[in-house]
Amino acid sequence: MGFLLLLPSLLVIGTLTLYPVVYNVWLSLLNKHAFLPGEKFVGLRNYELVLKDPQFWMSFKLGVIYSLVTVVLQLVIGIGAALLLHESFPGRNFFRGAILFPYLVPTIVGVLLWKWLLHDTYGLVNYTLQALNLVKDPIGWFGQDTIMISLILVSVWQFFPFVFLTILARLQIIPPELYEAAKVDGASALQRFFYITLPQLKTVLFIIILLRGIWMFTKFDTVWLMGGGEGVGLYIRTLPLYAYMKTFTYWQAGIGATVAMVMLLIMAGAAAIYFKIYKVEEGI
Amino acid sequence: MGRKPKRLIYLKKRFKFPWRILGLYGGSILLLLWSIFPLIWMLITSFKPTEEIFIYPPELIPRHMTLTNFYALFSRSHFLSYFMNSLKVSILTTACALVLSVLGAYGLVRFRFRGKELLAQLVLLTYMFAPIMIVIPFYILIRKIGLVNTHTALVLALTSFSLPFTLWLLRSFFQTIPLELEEAALVDGATHLEAAFYIVLPLAAPGIIATAIFTLILAWNDYIFARILITSDPLKTLPVGVQDLFNQTVVDWGMIMASGVLITIPVLLFFIFIQQYLIEGWGAGGIKG
Repeated sequence: MGFLLLLPSLLVIGTLTLYPVVYNVWLSLLNKHAFLPGEKFVGLRNYELVLKDPQFWMSFKLGVIYSLVTVVLQLVIGIGAALLLHESFPGRNFFRGAILFPYLVPTIVGVLLWKWLLHDTYGLVNYTLQALNLVKDPIGWFGQDTIMISLILVSVWQFFPFVFLTILARLQIIPPELYEAAKVDGASALQRFFYITLPQLKTVLFIIILLRGIWMFTKFDTVWLMGGGEGVGLYIRTLPLYAYMKTFTYWQAGIGATVAMVMLLIMAGAAAIYFKIYKVEEGI
Repeated sequence: MGRKPKRLIYLKKRFKFPWRILGLYGGSILLLLWSIFPLIWMLITSFKPTEEIFIYPPELIPRHMTLTNFYALFSRSHFLSYFMNSLKVSILTTACALVLSVLGAYGLVRFRFRGKELLAQLVLLTYMFAPIMIVIPFYILIRKIGLVNTHTALVLALTSFSLPFTLWLLRSFFQTIPLELEEAALVDGATHLEAAFYIVLPLAAPGIIATAIFTLILAWNDYIFARILITSDPLKTLPVGVQDLFNQTVVDWGMIMASGVLITIPVLLFFIFIQQYLIEGWGAGGIKG
């Protein structure tokens, strides 16, 4: 009976998610045009092509930079915000609710409004920087040296609330007795943070870093909408974009699938190493 | 004699500089500016006439508030059609995902069967696949059966994509409903179905509503599935339609900001409804992104 109730969901996930992912493995072994009929089995040749492709490694490098920097900045802002809004003071709930907005606003809106803020002549960011005498000439935020910085800025703005809310939820269940005992023993605020708060957050931090790392490394919409792809967009063309473009711009469905597969394998490898380091630190 | 020390203490308290309060509010206001100000700037720009949008230095308060940008959006683009498409796709996705996951989550919580935990974990695993991993092969498959460029394909894709999350979220809500209530109903002669319908569903209603809103937001915000599965203009949803509007012409910033405001309003309304469930939703995995 219970299984029967679950069956429709399993069927949907199985045919519409699991099957495409498995089909992707098969696709990566084919020479196949994205639109025209006909396909040819080529074994691992696509993998050979992809691994020898300097464009692929370029995208890999960009993806690593993008995910590392954005995850670190999200953690810094997210944890800072959570610690701040864990303190009790009037108006706290208003601030808590308000800073979640960037995460809930559709990506398209976030990207377009930042494109307006970062506009070279009429943008508020350049105006503020000039008014504060921080820069002399307006910065072109969508040039080849700056587009990655703009992308990182927008991504951190959009995703730090996830870190904030997850950390806040965990902070709320740390037993207050721990802090009281430490206060009695004369521990300073800094000591309380390093010896009580941080160890308590360890597990949740492990999960946050894992999830955010995976999600940033495979992020498509924000990067694509910021202009990733061709021209200046080459400088933010991360792996998901490269996989997409191989399929839908160059119509090489087999190669596109292979790029996606290699991306998955890289992630699985990174996750395995990450788990291992974590276990060593735990002393298990 | 006895009063003097008391007064000293009083004075000391009075003149202590409020570092803590200053730090708390200073920090909070900085955070608020960083998160909310971009959205407020979008709102301000959307009410400015074109000549005020392009003045330097930029001004915070519009001199002449106008609805021209909103009017242009409806008369010069297919915004209304995108809006209706988004609404249709989001509601259908939510309905499908809810029906499936209410049944599934109930099955997972109230019944024992072999491999239950394994299945639940497998479902969670599929949640880890990035959309880009699913959508490329999904497109090739959907093309083979001739469903490309239909809302059906989009609803199917989004339903399947959100199911792992809705299943886990509802499961955690159902787990909080005591089994005894249902058993009592069964003893009183109710069937399993009646007990589930009259006892569990009403108690789980808040959780179901929260799950529905999470799914609505996910479907409403989706860009990648709609980008790949929908090609013809009359079928486009908001994110894709507005993106193409942005790329087509010389950018009319007022109109683009107006569209941003209108896309955001439904999300804000949903947000007010679910605020109290946000933390619980997060506990079960959060919205993917």
